[in-house]
Amino acid sequence: MKADQFNHITDHELLERFYADHDNEWLGILLQRYTLLLLGVSMKYLRNEEEAKDSVQQIFLKVIQELQKYKVEYFKSWLYMVAKNHCLMRIREKQGKITTEINDRISIKPEEESDRQALLQTDHTLDLMETALNELNPEQQQCVTLFYLQKKSYQEVSGETGYSMLQVKSYIQNGKRNLKILIEKKLQEETNRK
Amino acid sequence: MPANYKDILSHLSTEVDQETLLLYLQGKLSEEKKHEVEKHLLQDDFEDEAVEGLQEFRDKEQLQYMVEMLNRDLKKKTEKKKKRREKMRYKDQPWLYISLLILVLLIALSYIVIHRMLKG
Repeated sequence: MKADQFNHITDHELLERFYADHDNEWLGILLQRYTLLLLGVSMKYLRNEEEAKDSVQQIFLKVIQELQKYKVEYFKSWLYMVAKNHCLMRIREKQGKITTEINDRISIKPEEESDRQALLQTDHTLDLMETALNELNPEQQQCVTLFYLQKKSYQEVSGETGYSMLQVKSYIQNGKRNLKILIEKKLQEETNRK
Repeated sequence: MPANYKDILSHLSTEVDQETLLLYLQGKLSEEKKHEVEKHLLQDDFEDEAVEGLQEFRDKEQLQYMVEMLNRDLKKKTEKKKKRREKMRYKDQPWLYISLLILVLLIALSYIVIHRMLKG
């Protein structure tokens, strides 16, 4: 079976096919979609190219074993958790230290937040955004504006501001999180007043 | 401008495929495309962590090759199992029985020979 011909089938459908006939080939097609990501996550934690490659192979095996036992709903989030746990365990084995394992949440839901999403995207919230943006610290404000409003890449933002790429990313991430908190706070205050 | 504000709050994004991600890592995308990928990464922790790790690889051009090798290996694991199991059942076991039989015969034979030699 060639993986390309299954591109139109969603992860969920591939899993369903596997649960129906228990043919591991479906899992092979599904996992191939994530090889690069698994290699990246493994490298991030293990910091060694060979170990990262080994880790991907072990994660594959683990996933194939686990899926025989459990039914997984949100494959991508679950796989991310399995991959991180695996890497943490390898680090623990190497260091002989105890690190906390992330809970096994098979039914873990991806961040959809549809209700909050709808709430956050009304015109009114977008008005609040402008005020909230001004309340951010200057670094975050500058990076968020350049990235989201002027649609620049990290590299361009870094070139314009003189911050390193890592700083730019962290200012954007934190700025984004703070904006959400600020807007939610403002919305809450408004409902309290009413 | 307000239209762009939505991007900051959105969690809904289109997937970035492995090919685009590879081009991003190899620095082969336009600034505009780079921005699109980065916007997506900010919404997806899995992919964001992966990119952080992938940036640590010395030779980004090798990444595709590594992925192909890993996929080939994965394919072997998920494809061959059935055949191997069948082989075990029909081929390997007769050999096992024959070897055991020969071993038992050899032991019996040596016992008889030694026994006779001692008597003699």
